[in-house]
Amino acid sequence: MAVRWSCVEAGCDWAVMAADADAIVPLVQAHIGEIHSSFELEDMIEAVLEDVPDGRASGAAD
Amino acid sequence: MSSVAEIESKFHFSREMLAGPIYRKYEKAIRKVWSVEDLDFTKDALDWQRITPEQQKGLLGVTIRFLAGEQAVTDELVPMLAAAHALRRFDWTMFLSTFLMEEAKHAEFFMRWHEKVVGVLDPDEVAPHFLVRGKTIDPSGRFEVRDVMHEALPHYGSRLLEASVSGSEAEIERAFVQFSAAYNAFVEGVLTMPSYEIVIDATAQWDAFPTLNQGFKLILMDEGRHITFGTEACRILIEKNPEYEEAVHEIFDAYRGNVVGLVEYQKAVPGLDLGKYQTMKVRHYRNRCREMGITPDATLIDQILDPTIDFVVGVEAG
Repeated sequence: MAVRWSCVEAGCDWAVMAADADAIVPLVQAHIGEIHSSFELEDMIEAVLEDVPDGRASGAAD
Repeated sequence: MSSVAEIESKFHFSREMLAGPIYRKYEKAIRKVWSVEDLDFTKDALDWQRITPEQQKGLLGVTIRFLAGEQAVTDELVPMLAAAHALRRFDWTMFLSTFLMEEAKHAEFFMRWHEKVVGVLDPDEVAPHFLVRGKTIDPSGRFEVRDVMHEALPHYGSRLLEASVSGSEAEIERAFVQFSAAYNAFVEGVLTMPSYEIVIDATAQWDAFPTLNQGFKLILMDEGRHITFGTEACRILIEKNPEYEEAVHEIFDAYRGNVVGLVEYQKAVPGLDLGKYQTMKVRHYRNRCREMGITPDATLIDQILDPTIDFVVGVEAG
């Protein structure tokens, strides 16, 4: 099952999907680092992942 | 003669528990154990000698509060263990055993860093560098700043301990949500996150203190588990009784001034981007609410982001 994570930084509506938690964590951390000059912890990313039953697992941003 | 149910009550493991999120956090904590003894403070001690007195003062203001804070959170965790026992949640007890050990280790890290790098350790040596938050002034008079770490945690911890000893299940659960909201969601999960980042940013900007930077990253790895344990536990209890959501908002409301004001370290450490740390507090607040399955307070978010609300939490405010 694919998973989805969406950014809640003020003014940011970036979201990403990937095959699983292991695949999505580095994508999210890259976004937070490059766009917001900050960091997001692995457990915090995993804690708010949404399951996407029929979602594509491309790793691309929405 | 013991009944089958009495005998079965002596055993806590189940396949459902092993597959659950809290037990998986326990397993991860065991896999990720690190030791302060493995860290080398030599380069940090040399860097301390070469930075300016202003930089020393700014950095020490942050690290001394961490030294006190890590001791406080180690000391204040017992009520959660008592509650996990009273609620018969053995997976919570197992995870909390790693949580307590890790908080003690974080206190050890800061004790060793101050001893080996700055040369201070005893209470009379470190206390003069402690930034006291009670003197904060909000010029608009709208917000009160209180010491959430050293005031709220003991207060809500005592309530939780009392409920765990003599309260009903609902009283324990509500007290747990209040304590966890203060400890994991507010202090660890929102208020402290910019402080970690300020130290990491400052050490990168100064190209100094590699072991302080490494220690902060190791501590953050642990804190990510602690925070999401607390918010997951709150989510479980709030799903069981949605009225507990109000207990979370009560905590954030009571200490609103602390999260709305700027972190004192932003001003104490020269050369940092002040706006970044307000914005990231909003991200962390929204994420903690997402983790707990509750609705964020939109007014609180507006106040954190309001550029006209710019008083600084700490002695240099006003």
